Amino acid sequence: MYDFDYHKPSSVADAVKLLSADPDARAISGGQTLLPALKHRLNRPTYLVDLSGIAELRGVKREGDKITVGAMTRHIEVQNSPEVKSAIPALAYMATVIGDIQVRNRGTMGGSVANNDPAADYPSAVLGLGATVVTDKRRIAADDYFQGMFTTALEPGELLVAIEFPIPEKAGYAKMRNPASRYVMAGVFVAKTKDGVRVVVNGAGPGVFRQTDMEQALSANWSPDAVAGIKQASEGLNSDIHGSAEYRAHLVSVMAKRAVTDAG
Amino acid sequence: MSPIPNAETHVGSPRSRVDGRAKVTGAARYSGEFTAPDLAHGYVVNSTVAKGRITRLDTAAALAAPGVLEVFTHENRPRTAWFSYNYQDEVGPPGSPFRPLYDDKVVYSGQPIALVVAETFEAARGAASLVRVSYEAEAHETDLKNRMDEAYEPPKKRTGISPPPKPRGDARGAYADAPVKVSGDYWAAYEHHNPMEPHATTVVWEGGGKLLVHDKNQGVLNAQSYIASVFGLGKGDVRVVTPFVGGGFGSGLRPQYQLFLAVMAALELRRSVRVVLTRDQMFTHVYRPNTFQTVRLGANPDGALRSIQQHAIAGTSQFEDHQEVVVNWAGTLYHCDNVELTYKLAKLDTYTPGDMRAPGAPLGLFATESAMDELACATGVDPVEIRLRNYTEKDENENKNFTSKELRACYQVGAERFGWSKRNPEPRSMREGRELIGWGMASGAWEAQMMKTSARATLTADGKLEVACATADIGTGTYTILTQIGADAFGLRMEDVTTKLGDTTLPYSPVQGGSWTAASAGTAVQLACEAVREKLFKHARKASGSPLADVKLDAVSFADGRIEVTADPSRFVRIADAMRAGGVDRLEAEETAKPSMIDQLRYTGYTHSAIFVEVRVDEELGAVRVTRVVDAVAAGKILNPKTARSQVVGGIVWGIGMALEEETMPDHNLGRFMNHNYAEYHVPVNADVQGIEVVFVDEHDTKVSPIGVKGLGEIGIVGTAAAIANAIHHATGKRVRDMPITIDKVLG
Repeated sequence: MYDFDYHKPSSVADAVKLLSADPDARAISGGQTLLPALKHRLNRPTYLVDLSGIAELRGVKREGDKITVGAMTRHIEVQNSPEVKSAIPALAYMATVIGDIQVRNRGTMGGSVANNDPAADYPSAVLGLGATVVTDKRRIAADDYFQGMFTTALEPGELLVAIEFPIPEKAGYAKMRNPASRYVMAGVFVAKTKDGVRVVVNGAGPGVFRQTDMEQALSANWSPDAVAGIKQASEGLNSDIHGSAEYRAHLVSVMAKRAVTDAG
Repeated sequence: MSPIPNAETHVGSPRSRVDGRAKVTGAARYSGEFTAPDLAHGYVVNSTVAKGRITRLDTAAALAAPGVLEVFTHENRPRTAWFSYNYQDEVGPPGSPFRPLYDDKVVYSGQPIALVVAETFEAARGAASLVRVSYEAEAHETDLKNRMDEAYEPPKKRTGISPPPKPRGDARGAYADAPVKVSGDYWAAYEHHNPMEPHATTVVWEGGGKLLVHDKNQGVLNAQSYIASVFGLGKGDVRVVTPFVGGGFGSGLRPQYQLFLAVMAALELRRSVRVVLTRDQMFTHVYRPNTFQTVRLGANPDGALRSIQQHAIAGTSQFEDHQEVVVNWAGTLYHCDNVELTYKLAKLDTYTPGDMRAPGAPLGLFATESAMDELACATGVDPVEIRLRNYTEKDENENKNFTSKELRACYQVGAERFGWSKRNPEPRSMREGRELIGWGMASGAWEAQMMKTSARATLTADGKLEVACATADIGTGTYTILTQIGADAFGLRMEDVTTKLGDTTLPYSPVQGGSWTAASAGTAVQLACEAVREKLFKHARKASGSPLADVKLDAVSFADGRIEVTADPSRFVRIADAMRAGGVDRLEAEETAKPSMIDQLRYTGYTHSAIFVEVRVDEELGAVRVTRVVDAVAAGKILNPKTARSQVVGGIVWGIGMALEEETMPDHNLGRFMNHNYAEYHVPVNADVQGIEVVFVDEHDTKVSPIGVKGLGEIGIVGTAAAIANAIHHATGKRVRDMPITIDKVLG
């Protein structure tokens, strides 16, 4: 680890000021990705801006037909939130299968969505529910937010402050976890909302993407059988020591079926 | 000499490890943890080509780095023994042992080519990255598939390893005529040992040419001989002390290269030096060889075997012929008149493979016992029943009787505990939720050996006993069982007994391996204690007015710090009084245990097991879980059911790894292992291990070793992979003959 300075602001405005002042400054939330990167000297920030002291970034609220999750809300809080559990049980379930208990106690939703690791869980729910990413400057639709591996619409110095999830009629999530790291080998989030059906794949490709063949099939017939026979093309999917692109493609059909079953 | 009857208070009872507290509190010192004033640190530079010649080794930048003391290479290494046989060790196979930094030749990828020594480990590691090496690379071959045509029978046999027996009957003819035939090709991947403790050596420079060496190994005397022979030192100048070993599994049997490098640097710099290998570097020496086998079984419709053919080809290095017993096991398990077994090697540009837990047996039995399962399916005979129908009461390879063989009881007890009778033989007949359930079983066998070993017992007037032997405790529980034997010999509490191991100043022991230590060191300790008891008894009878004066040896017992008449414990002499009568304050004896030559000529000894496994397979994902294991083991006398169970459980867990996860993957273009770390070399973790039940069946054996012990270090792993493969077949109908049985093979 290289040396760095450390700041712990207590407001979003102060945090943004610090982050805008130096392009080599980094925000740190739960530290589940950034800390290992620092330890391996893969990242050399001038200073860290610790967001854990900003009260306005935390907590879950239900307002009308949407659930708003503050960026610094930890996975364990999403998992246990009565609001999330009653409105979007699939999202609460998703939180229970992220990493292990240590990760869930430290990691935050904002950190995960800002980082956009291809093997992360939350991005699939954000895109699958057509959520809105709220920053200190603007509101970004999920469809415009995710831009491939570790890449998002966030500008330098822009801070993700919350995510607004519309409450769906039904939603479900299923993933194949790497047995060692618990990262997603391939996962599918399905949702039926007033705006239609969404099927989002995570873990299998360089970033989350919508599986439109499955969306059409489920729009016509919301049942596990409707997606069971739809094959995902393996071109462009991740292939590594843990699973080939073909295996991940195979998993997409299996997980889609299981996600629909989960959604009920 | 008829020994004094030994009341067994501790022997045979479950006892916690006497070294357990020291290990969990960090008090137990491992080889890379010993320190010395002015300790220097070495870091190894490894070759990046698999074969060729080093044309240039530029060490200038490394030498100029802060804190660097010296960079050793083949160009400046101090003089060591000229001949390769000086590098030979107690367990090495035929060939020319690898000589680190010997010359400019590279014979495998990862070969140590330089040692950077600096004031700190970090300085050495940093400077090692500055060493620049140019090679003249030559074409290499690391793919066994490409060398199988050139496979050969090893011309020189490795000591202690039985080559395949001569063919019996006409296996090919009988196979051709057999009404039922099964045949298959089997693969086993490269595997690395991966003990938690990496190989490490701390050499303490004691001045006056004397070295105190702490080296991770499974036999301090083997390491001492190697150092003396390679560096031309007297054994009196080299003391090797390795009290604790963080897992050996065979990787510490032969001296590994860090030992050579650390001693070389200490001698040259005249200063203490430590060399610790990194996890990555643990993939640059010994491993379990990549092995290919073909098995053909011919049988009658009732399952009776008419022909067994098993052929193996294993990889070895260019410079040594590593050998292990792969194909012989069917001959000790099954009766068959027509048997042909062969074992060949193929030269690869790798380091020499070596012994890994039960070397050869789990590979051979994976093939044999998978084929037996196929035969059970083909004949419709239950897998346990077909093994009983072919049961042999004789070791047909050697045409000798067994010292004992309670394998039949293993099948019966194991089947009963597992609930085998409820098994529907039809594959894919059991399902729960998304998972198919399969039940499979296999037999296991491992040699029960005893080796010449000495031990010393020292009893002091305060009623404390010390037992000592140069053998290692590689995590097996040797400290504990020797303490139990010593405590029972004198009726002491275990806290009153100190066991000393892993020091070249202690009585002779071979390396700890082959599951022979409990039988060998246990007997030696028993004999030494008996000798001390006799001496003590003589003194006790001499005490004035001794109530034991007219009593014979076999009529007394030792209890509570005294010698008492067994029939009348009110007549006794205290240990302290007996010593006083003899005018001594301590009694000591050293004894040597040897196997009985007559019994060895007449009998063969094996530990046996029957292992039953339940797997659950998510057919859509191809993911396999091992949800239940029952292993029934016949291993003679069990000294400590608690540590014994741990040994067997450890073997089973490794068997799960072997069957489903463990695989070192070579990149044949580079001739190098790719997944040289724990992140990508998968071993079972807690989440992979569910219910494991170990049952020891009664087995009384007076011939295998004087204390009736057969050894347990390896039997746990031998049948596990086969049983899992058979269970996967029962669950899915798919027969996978290629280990590890990964998802792609289950789905494919």
